[in-house]
Amino acid sequence: MLATLAMSLLPKRPLHLPRLRTYVPEPSDPKIFWFNSERSDILQDVVRRIMERYEADDAIELVIGDAAYHEIRRLEHRTDEAGRKGLEYWRGVIRRVGRMSSEGKHETLREISMRMAKDVAGNFDPRVYKFAARAVPGLLTGVMNPSNLMRNVLDSGTRLDELVSVEGPVEKLRALQRKGTMLLLPTHSSNLDSLAIAWVLFREALAPVVYGAGKNLFTNPIISFFMHNLGAYRVDRRVRARLYKDVLKAYSSIMVERGYHSLFFPGGTRSRSGAIEQRLKLGLAGTGVEAFARNRARGVNRPVFFVPATINYALVLEAETLVEDHLKEAGRARYIIEDDEFSRLERWIAFFKRVQSAESACVIRFGEPLDPFCNPVDEDGRSMAPDGRVLDPGSYVSRRGTATVDGARDAAYTRDLGRAIAKAYVKETVVMATQLVAHVLFRRLCRATPGLDLFARLRHRGDIAVPMDELVADVAQTRDGLRKLELEGRVHLSAAIRRAEPDQIITRALDAWSGYHQKPIARVLGGSVIAEDPNLLLYYQNRLRLFAPEIAGSHPGDRQAALEIAAMEGAR
Amino acid sequence: MSAPVAIVGGGAFGRALATAAARVDRAVINWSRSPREFDHPKITTTSDFAALREAELVFLAVPSPHVPGLCHELGRHLDGGHLVAHVSRGVVGDDLETLTEVVRETTPVRRVGALAGPLVARGLSEGEPGGAIVGTLFPEVADAVRGALGGPSLRIYDTDDVIGVELASAFVSLITLAMGYAKAGGFGPGTLSVLATRGMAEATRVVQARGGSERTTAGLAGFGDLLAAMAEDGRPELALGRALWEGEPLDEAASRLGAYVEGVRIAEQIEHFGTRNQVQTPLAAAMAAVVAGKISQREAAALLMRRPARVE
Repeated sequence: MLATLAMSLLPKRPLHLPRLRTYVPEPSDPKIFWFNSERSDILQDVVRRIMERYEADDAIELVIGDAAYHEIRRLEHRTDEAGRKGLEYWRGVIRRVGRMSSEGKHETLREISMRMAKDVAGNFDPRVYKFAARAVPGLLTGVMNPSNLMRNVLDSGTRLDELVSVEGPVEKLRALQRKGTMLLLPTHSSNLDSLAIAWVLFREALAPVVYGAGKNLFTNPIISFFMHNLGAYRVDRRVRARLYKDVLKAYSSIMVERGYHSLFFPGGTRSRSGAIEQRLKLGLAGTGVEAFARNRARGVNRPVFFVPATINYALVLEAETLVEDHLKEAGRARYIIEDDEFSRLERWIAFFKRVQSAESACVIRFGEPLDPFCNPVDEDGRSMAPDGRVLDPGSYVSRRGTATVDGARDAAYTRDLGRAIAKAYVKETVVMATQLVAHVLFRRLCRATPGLDLFARLRHRGDIAVPMDELVADVAQTRDGLRKLELEGRVHLSAAIRRAEPDQIITRALDAWSGYHQKPIARVLGGSVIAEDPNLLLYYQNRLRLFAPEIAGSHPGDRQAALEIAAMEGAR
Repeated sequence: MSAPVAIVGGGAFGRALATAAARVDRAVINWSRSPREFDHPKITTTSDFAALREAELVFLAVPSPHVPGLCHELGRHLDGGHLVAHVSRGVVGDDLETLTEVVRETTPVRRVGALAGPLVARGLSEGEPGGAIVGTLFPEVADAVRGALGGPSLRIYDTDDVIGVELASAFVSLITLAMGYAKAGGFGPGTLSVLATRGMAEATRVVQARGGSERTTAGLAGFGDLLAAMAEDGRPELALGRALWEGEPLDEAASRLGAYVEGVRIAEQIEHFGTRNQVQTPLAAAMAAVVAGKISQREAAALLMRRPARVE
């Protein structure tokens, strides 16, 4: 109640701290510390690029008309002052554009592009960064125990160290950040992802990154304050205008061209099904390829490295809403969820209470970095051919020795890259105890309901009871299958799964679920484990969907169930 | 001046491609393990992959099982500036890995494509009017293929559904094998038509399971190519299918035909893929059993016909 009142008193627009004297970055500071001094140049660059793209009067009229049409549609239902003013502006534009001189059209496009670019562009305040790096872990831990908030804030997050672990070639990434621009491409299952990544980058002495955050995340004034002052730029998914997308792409490309390490979620949105994302659109991450080509075409040799990463949670804060959305046919088209667990304080508290007791509740695993053309790179940032030769990445954007910028070609490279990143996601997945136990239980559910479709299966709430000794045997055998895959370098297991006995793995999973999810996912009754919530079992087990046939037991029913699981829809 | 066109493969198709490129006045380097000279001033031959480095566009015209091995060798001499198009009608392994995927994994080349459709060696060599399709994500590859082969008599279309083109093309080999088998068994046009249509429906299911588009199987790479095969354009699959009906052992028939027959392995590969991915592939299953000598002619026919008919 108090928290809600306090939130309502906070300002709606992102705050900037007053500056008494200009901050001069140290030479050793990460690139992003220079952002504010370059901000104005970056905005000018964005506008220049838009003006180059739309040179002809007809093209300008068309793109302005498209922006006005979409903005009027978006704003005409708004009743607030800003909405009314916006509507007035766009109606004026649409009235005038047909009669404008060539100069007037150019000027209007310049003005609109600058407005959009300013709305997108972030800010970076080194003071906020330094404060956040110290305070965020404490704040997160503080959510769990508000009476100790101040102590937690000052305690610099030792607890979070144990909760979030990091795997992968961190040392190599540190070296590469000094040689080129790094684009971090993690899987996306929760709004906590960006916080977890930001914290891990700081803890591992990796440079901070800029990233596009949905404008809906800026509605919380505290989060908005941090995001806005830590280099995040705003992506308003409600704005449909083509020009806005051009501005976003230009902004993102220019940031990469200038050497700002960036973060993109190539899946576009949080994985609704819980599955490892396989159909990657890449979206703005594709601007990394364009940025490399643009730099090469003007003789700048700055490598770009794409780093896939998986964020693996034992518990997912928003699991219930996400899977519900996945299962709703209409829900599949829903892009912005504004009322999920992320926006509810009591869910945060319940979540952190649970994860506090779990060992490594979140594992972030970085994959091997790739150049924009899917070639692996060595410690020195050199692109490597399959035979170990050093390659010139510039050859990929050249024809007959001349580097060029070619949108169609770079879009094709981006699609290739999407496939390579999707493959890396599978390989770099870290299987957690909750996922393993959910998979075994869900496979039992499928085994008991042969031939049924998914939705009919999901109606079997509380119907499937697996005797504990059988479940222990199934978990042991499935873990053996996963271990084999791990030895082949095709997946990874969390330390808990690797070390614990099968019955302990089951206990850990059941403990993690109970107390966080509102309804029990599974519970022990009379020596058996009852599958109570097939939806959430589906959600957690989906992470193992692609491996199902290879980790199934020898029981014929198990094998058939595994084939059915593998063939299920669940890429998003 | 344009860079020369490289062609890997000294078989009938490789030589036909070389002749076609030379006809549009392009310099051609033809690689094969045992080169045979051409009677054409624009075509040189080599057995050294390093000689292909100066080319920009490289055609791979070798049977699919040889592609991975050759690419390992060839890849040492290529870089990101090269473009590769293959003409094989096969896939690799039970995951139906396509040859453009093999090229991407085993060489540094990324600008790749698959040339498919009703192209036959004789027609290419003689400049007979015809058409083909290039499946590629890269417009540059389609343009380069048109520049190397296209002309007044050859229309080359393109699509970005690469997987669709490669799998449709592989399925045509399988269906052609089945057609040869059925023709030898004396089945009439009605039976052959059902076989072709349902075979292509099977192709569509597999293409879609691998992320391709159903439109591609209906185009030049699928039905277009199958019509040419049914018109007896000289494919070894048709002859091999006949030989299998007549009880000739597979090895003997294959060696008598003197060409690698893509359709033989594809049947088994597709059947395995279908089982693992819950995609129905009855034609592939039946032909895999025929090729392995596990079922008789009568059993094969019964296997295909006893499936329940549903809405098409």
